[in-house]
Amino acid sequence: METQSKAGDWRAFKRVLMPPVKDLHKLEVYEEHEGYAALREVLTTDKWDPTSVTNEMKKSGLKGRGGAGFPTGLKWSFMPPVDPDIPRFLCCNGDESEPGTFKDRQLMEYNPHLVLEGMLIAAYAMSIKTAFLYIRGEFADWITLMEGELEKAYAKGYVGQDIMGSGFSCEIVIHKGAGAYICGEESSLMESLEGKRAYPRIKPPFPAQKGVWGYPTTINNVESLACAPLIIRNGGDWYAGIGAEAHPGPVLYGISGHVNRPGVYEYPTGMLITDLIYEVAGGMRGGKKLKALIPGGSSTPILRADMIEGLTMDANSLRDAGSMMGTSGMLIMDEDTDIVAWLRRITHFYHHESCGQCTPCREGTGWLENIVTRIDEGEGNFRDLDLLLDLCTQMEGRTVCALADAAAWPVRYTIDRFRDEFEARCRPSLIPSGGVLENA
Amino acid sequence: MADFIKNPVVDLLDRNPEPVFSGKDLSFSKDEKAQIMKWVSSYPSKEGAVMHGLWLAQEKFGFLPPEVIQLVADEIGMPYADTYGVATFYTQYFKEKKGDYVLDVCTCFSCQLCGGYDILHYLEDKLGIHKGETTADGMFTIQEAECLGACGSAPMLQVTNGPYVNHLTPEKIDALVDALRDGKMPEFESVTLPQDEDELGGNRRTDVSLTPTYGVCPVSETLS
Repeated sequence: METQSKAGDWRAFKRVLMPPVKDLHKLEVYEEHEGYAALREVLTTDKWDPTSVTNEMKKSGLKGRGGAGFPTGLKWSFMPPVDPDIPRFLCCNGDESEPGTFKDRQLMEYNPHLVLEGMLIAAYAMSIKTAFLYIRGEFADWITLMEGELEKAYAKGYVGQDIMGSGFSCEIVIHKGAGAYICGEESSLMESLEGKRAYPRIKPPFPAQKGVWGYPTTINNVESLACAPLIIRNGGDWYAGIGAEAHPGPVLYGISGHVNRPGVYEYPTGMLITDLIYEVAGGMRGGKKLKALIPGGSSTPILRADMIEGLTMDANSLRDAGSMMGTSGMLIMDEDTDIVAWLRRITHFYHHESCGQCTPCREGTGWLENIVTRIDEGEGNFRDLDLLLDLCTQMEGRTVCALADAAAWPVRYTIDRFRDEFEARCRPSLIPSGGVLENA
Repeated sequence: MADFIKNPVVDLLDRNPEPVFSGKDLSFSKDEKAQIMKWVSSYPSKEGAVMHGLWLAQEKFGFLPPEVIQLVADEIGMPYADTYGVATFYTQYFKEKKGDYVLDVCTCFSCQLCGGYDILHYLEDKLGIHKGETTADGMFTIQEAECLGACGSAPMLQVTNGPYVNHLTPEKIDALVDALRDGKMPEFESVTLPQDEDELGGNRRTDVSLTPTYGVCPVSETLS
């Protein structure tokens, strides 16, 4: 059903976040390909001031690529008016620990200066003088690479004091995490930066009012910030014209699992999921049939194969289908996949990564794991399924951050959409209604 | 007293173990102190440097017993309790002595579906230890890791918070373990983007020697 794709002629799409250029990660190569041209334009021409940059971002319709999909330009405009006595901060969120997501690491490896340029443009738009780039500790090799490239950018005067003679100054500090999923949540990222345990904070106050060290702060995903130079270079209208109307732009699809060519692909939003699986990623491994997929990281609700006909990868389409765009890290599962064992691994992940601050999450994730493990090992009862759903209700929306929700959703939707497989694994005792006993 | 109070169900860290480092061993060099001070100056408050400081200490001492955490706390000038809180919160800081090489095998769901547990069990059989344990010669520790953000090149593992080893097969594990026994850390592996393969004919980076491409993920035998 080609006509339903919102991505237009995606086969002719020219990549912009990671254009096909050899050694683009090197500063001299990046400079040859319009590198830092957008920053120069913003800083040195009269066309741009902080407000017009923010307005251009709003015009582009860019929605944050970190999972929540909040409009980036709007987020920038939440910063309070400039007060010279009050410092302001920018955090670039490179924590990327949502299972199934592996796009930011590739972006930082293959086009690091685009990320740095985006950070500087964002800093200019919000009159920020210090920007932090938070990268998860597991990415040690990529942190080394980013530090090396940042040093070169400093040496060339793209970062630091009086950038390009414009009077605008901005320092970039790279912060290395140390292995905690929760640091991807914006308020716990701030706690982590401040040198504390990464416990999320209660909101409000939102980071724009009271962020890192209590000062106004904006936090954006790596990929969102990398879009800023492209929007300045080509205009917000150009960006808004790519892909799906309500959720535009080029996006990095991370496709993993049972496909022939897993990997990170850059295409417009609004791609048909079937195109992504069967054409882009080379089809299912071994010619098997598709069973299910998750469209955007572990916490987005699972979709059965019969639910994806004509479905496109953008926020509205996926919401209507009962899922979410998330981080666009897609996991493809073939017909042999054991959904119960798979869910058991997810619940283990959330149990391990719960920070332990709120009781419903700390205890709830543990019980989710215990019960799903019991079902997986054939010791579960039918009532365990309802117990799981009840637990999910007790967790959702009852904690400081959204980790409890993220842990509960996969359980709720996987049971909802694959109930027969869970029931088949349960012990046929304590059956609520007749008829099933015959199978015992 | 209830049983669970005397014998807690969770294994808690020993808060006051016998010190491993002492005297002259337990200090930072002049350069390291300067580096920590540089970090301290790049944050609005000195506490921001604590994670950098703990990383530096872990690289120097191998792990973070209480006396090393105290050393970092003193250097930065923040309370021991806060520093201890940070060190124990994050999984990559080792609070106990590990092997020379810590093999973090990713088994989170993308890797699980592509044979992460097969690799883990193969490694366990090969080294004769379970996950979480260290070999008798103190060389290897195996750990089960949560998503390491390399789902496209599953199954994979990370060697001592450093390089990633992608597209694991039993043969690749054998070669890796042999190389590590000879003291050779794996080289950085840049994973080629599939679109680059089509448009550039291979990896776009020319400054890395190893450039494996995305391949077809293996079929998994076990899922837990």
